Amino acid sequence: MKDIFTIIIRLTLACIMAGLVMGTTYIFTSNAKKHNEHVNEQKAMYGLLGYGPANQAPDSMVLHAFYRYIVSHDDLLHLGYLVPLQDKGFSFVTIDLDGNFVAARQVDITGKEAIEEEARHQAIAAVLDEEATIRYADKTIVATNDGRRQAYLLPGAFPGFKTFIHVMLALDPHFTVLGLEVMEHEEDPGLGGEIEKDYFKNQFTGKPYEVLKHLDVTKTPLPDDYRRALEADRTGMSADDVRVIQEQYKDKDIYALTGATISSRAVTNGAKAIVKKFAYRLGILDKVLAQENIAVPF
Amino acid sequence: MATDKSNIQLITNGILNENPIFRLVLSMCPAVGISTTVMNGIMLGVAVLFVQVFSSVTISIFKNVIHPRIRIPTYTLTIATWVTVIDLLLAAYLPEAYGKMGIFVKLIVAFAIITMRLEMFACKESVQASFWDGIGMGLGFMFGMMAIGFVRELLGMGTLLGYDILGFQPLLFFVLHCAGFFVVGLMMAFFNYVEIIYKKTKQGA
Repeated sequence: MKDIFTIIIRLTLACIMAGLVMGTTYIFTSNAKKHNEHVNEQKAMYGLLGYGPANQAPDSMVLHAFYRYIVSHDDLLHLGYLVPLQDKGFSFVTIDLDGNFVAARQVDITGKEAIEEEARHQAIAAVLDEEATIRYADKTIVATNDGRRQAYLLPGAFPGFKTFIHVMLALDPHFTVLGLEVMEHEEDPGLGGEIEKDYFKNQFTGKPYEVLKHLDVTKTPLPDDYRRALEADRTGMSADDVRVIQEQYKDKDIYALTGATISSRAVTNGAKAIVKKFAYRLGILDKVLAQENIAVPF
Repeated sequence: MATDKSNIQLITNGILNENPIFRLVLSMCPAVGISTTVMNGIMLGVAVLFVQVFSSVTISIFKNVIHPRIRIPTYTLTIATWVTVIDLLLAAYLPEAYGKMGIFVKLIVAFAIITMRLEMFACKESVQASFWDGIGMGLGFMFGMMAIGFVRELLGMGTLLGYDILGFQPLLFFVLHCAGFFVVGLMMAFFNYVEIIYKKTKQGA
């Protein structure tokens, strides 16, 4: 009996100590980690738009983020979009499930605060009815150049072979894929892990919306010339040649990775779903914004 | 019971006599699953080295207050704590390295070799001896992983450390999980053979 007590006490103490060590480290590192993730995301976004350290983005290019929420209120489900306004601040536009405008509320939040999920959540909750609950769904970044839409950046996640695969998709205004970047995944190195390699992820580049809608994977081997074009960074193929080959293969399905069909299919279907849903939702949002004369900077 | 081995002997013991992969045959899951390239082997080896050293030292310090009946949970707790701490630190201050190693660090909690070293060595020995034993075991593990990775990467993908060596892919089979067992088995046989030959020549001399 006495034994049990000493065991309990010692195990509890060990757990508390472990918890303290981990907690302290978390407190000290969480800010730096968040900052890194943000920097990473920014880098990936500019990278997908074709800008990098050697090729800086022009000053006329601006990224605007808007956030999608699910608002439930008295058994009613609405979609809420937190959109930036032309002059200043944000507006929380709610739309019902049939795509009709419900309400637009001014939200008191600055662009910098809106990046933080917590601050955003509080600001939105403050302008809604008390009974309404909101749940964050996703965000979209619209890149504009001189006020004209240049690209959409869609962060998204879907289940892979093991856990979720986090990606970032870039689309042009006609929903043609500009690029796909794998942000985070836990697929097997050497097999499913190859999804982050150029010769797989670059296959999505240049796929028009019509093709993407019915995109599938094929298990035929990747043709050599296509592979050279996909790995242009390594093979040094000129951008014009790459474009010619991309054009040639744009109607083709995605060539699956050898030994990792499940991961290949997961990315293909995931990207397909993200783009299809986005195209549908953006149509509704644009219609509502135009109808209600809500001036947005994108 | 204190070990009578010197620090150098403790290190070579981990690399040769008690090599975690080829001699103790522990932690075979990562050895088979991850060792598809030399780089993976190095990354996982470095991660294991750190966790092994930190855990060994921690257990060695607290060895007198750990109740013998709950030692295994305590070991797991210690390893998990260090894995989490290293994971968080890497993510925060070395994002470049974390991008490559993050996936491996999280795997370490379940490694048999670390628990086994805590049970067999650190809970009986001095802090200093545990430290050197941890380094030896970590290096031994890294050596084993690199050796397997070398064979699998060269034969499976025709590359070494990502550089194209052969210019073609000889046999993709070596990258698949099951091939890991074949490679480990063959290398084990090879090392045993070397040892037999070595002993024979020694006796003959």
